[in-house]
Amino acid sequence: MSQLQEEREIILGNENVDAFDFDEVREFIENADEKLFISHHFATRDKMLVQPRGGFPTYEKQYALYEFFVAANVDVLPLTIDSNTRLNDYATAEKMLRLSEANEIDMLNGYPLVNHGYRTTRKMMTHFNHPVSLRHGTPDARLLTEIAIAAGIFEIEGGPITYLLPYSKNFPLDKAFLYWKYVERVCADYSKLNKPINRESFGPLTATLVPPAITIVIQLLEMLLSLEEGVKSFSVSFSQQGSMIQDIVTGTVTRKLARFYAAQIGCEDASIHLVYHQWMGAFPTNRDSADQLINMSTVIASMVGADKIITKTREEAVGIPTKEANAQTVANTQYTLRILSGLPAIVDEQEEEILTAEVQAIMDAVFNDSADTLWRKVFNSIKNGIIDVPFSPHIINHNKMITIRDAHKNIRIIERGNVPIPDRCYAYEKSCCDLNKDTTSIVNDIIHDIGIMQ
Amino acid sequence: MKVVTGVIGNDIHVVANRLMDLSLNARGYEVFNLGVNTFLEEFFDAAVETGAEILLISSLNGEAEGWSREVKILKSKYKTLDRLIMMIGGNLTVGSGNARDIVPRYKNYGFDLVCHQVDLNTGLDMLEDYIKEHRQP
Repeated sequence: MSQLQEEREIILGNENVDAFDFDEVREFIENADEKLFISHHFATRDKMLVQPRGGFPTYEKQYALYEFFVAANVDVLPLTIDSNTRLNDYATAEKMLRLSEANEIDMLNGYPLVNHGYRTTRKMMTHFNHPVSLRHGTPDARLLTEIAIAAGIFEIEGGPITYLLPYSKNFPLDKAFLYWKYVERVCADYSKLNKPINRESFGPLTATLVPPAITIVIQLLEMLLSLEEGVKSFSVSFSQQGSMIQDIVTGTVTRKLARFYAAQIGCEDASIHLVYHQWMGAFPTNRDSADQLINMSTVIASMVGADKIITKTREEAVGIPTKEANAQTVANTQYTLRILSGLPAIVDEQEEEILTAEVQAIMDAVFNDSADTLWRKVFNSIKNGIIDVPFSPHIINHNKMITIRDAHKNIRIIERGNVPIPDRCYAYEKSCCDLNKDTTSIVNDIIHDIGIMQ
Repeated sequence: MKVVTGVIGNDIHVVANRLMDLSLNARGYEVFNLGVNTFLEEFFDAAVETGAEILLISSLNGEAEGWSREVKILKSKYKTLDRLIMMIGGNLTVGSGNARDIVPRYKNYGFDLVCHQVDLNTGLDMLEDYIKEHRQP
């Protein structure tokens, strides 16, 4: 028995799993309808796929949500997981699920997939026969991924960096790399049976003034960590940044460099997709303004040429959205995409050149780390601040980089910390901003820059 | 002067914490930032360890109220913290409340300076005034 299989049997021997049948699961995946695989939709459809967010504790409510989404002409269904499961606390998730079932009040902020189990959940997935994306935020997603794929969920979001640095203060980063290596291997293994399982990285990170160079580097590294384990279908992503031109340039550079670095490790055969998140920062409380913001995001995603868009709702500032509001966004986004045409191709060569140089300089520094494997190089680079994510709560993050918006709301690096931004790029970034201010004014600017959409 | 700061309890709201770190540094303090999700003992331990003159606790989700009830008991167990300036700020109650009720309550818990929904720089100005008043012979 391989070492991976041994580890899988330990993980799936968890007391919350009801007799995992490896052979039956393989057979299910071999014979699964191609419509369940988002990789198949990416390969065969030329429209931007629309995917909302959403997860409710009970089977019935999740089912009802999917009915609304399908009626609104959804392309990809989400399965958002509750926060107890994200922290591997299945016992609390079980208790809260029972309370939610008994009392009509939701005691969980998502669907406790492990507790529902794959046999039950698979009935829902095969009934709707849409591709489903697993949305969670789990540093140790080994069990969750196994149950998801067995249930017919063939896209797994997340990664060791993007699901850790924005969400956790002290979960050990080195452990996260090893846990995600398991996830990549399981996805790669199952990908041989039918259409590939798609992996998606979470580009928004903290959604708080993260400069595109940092976003892209982390997207590329998570992509490489996945491809090197044999994954054949991967989505890089980022969220709306606040300036249309910066989004367009970010999309162009991300696509170009994803292909470049995939080829560098001999993975030209993998298919790489670009995903765009509607605004992930602080939302307006006014629902009509929120609708306008969402609509603008859709237009920008089209300018970026994204393969998939992930939507927000008009209730974002208020709390967990109702199924009605959620489905409404799907319908609105599909409408905007349908009527939008004749978009101009916009290129900004100077911005592209500078962003490309920044990303390549950081990637070179990561590759030049003396560690023997890629994950260790990345780990060391985060530890010593070569990669620095603004506003990460994690203790390992360097917190030396400072970013603000320029007059056109582009995010600019005014203090690079230990990140190896080349001197001429750094000079350019700073020249875009008014830096003749004291720190108090700059802090006030940052507060303003975080809240631009409110 | 040395200041220990951080966000109390199971509170992951990091943005203001980073901005406070920046602002305190700009005002010339030596900052020991414990970050988010920090428990009361950790604050006092850090104050002892660093020899800080100021402890600046923040809260956004409002759970400071629960923790603050233990401040006096816990602080009395440390021998060297009598002169520590105790400041708390942010959103200091769950749900709504007004500063007129909240400030005296927190002073009673053992804080010298209480800023409920006060703008960051206003709060830091208050700290400077307090230091001038209390530290001059």
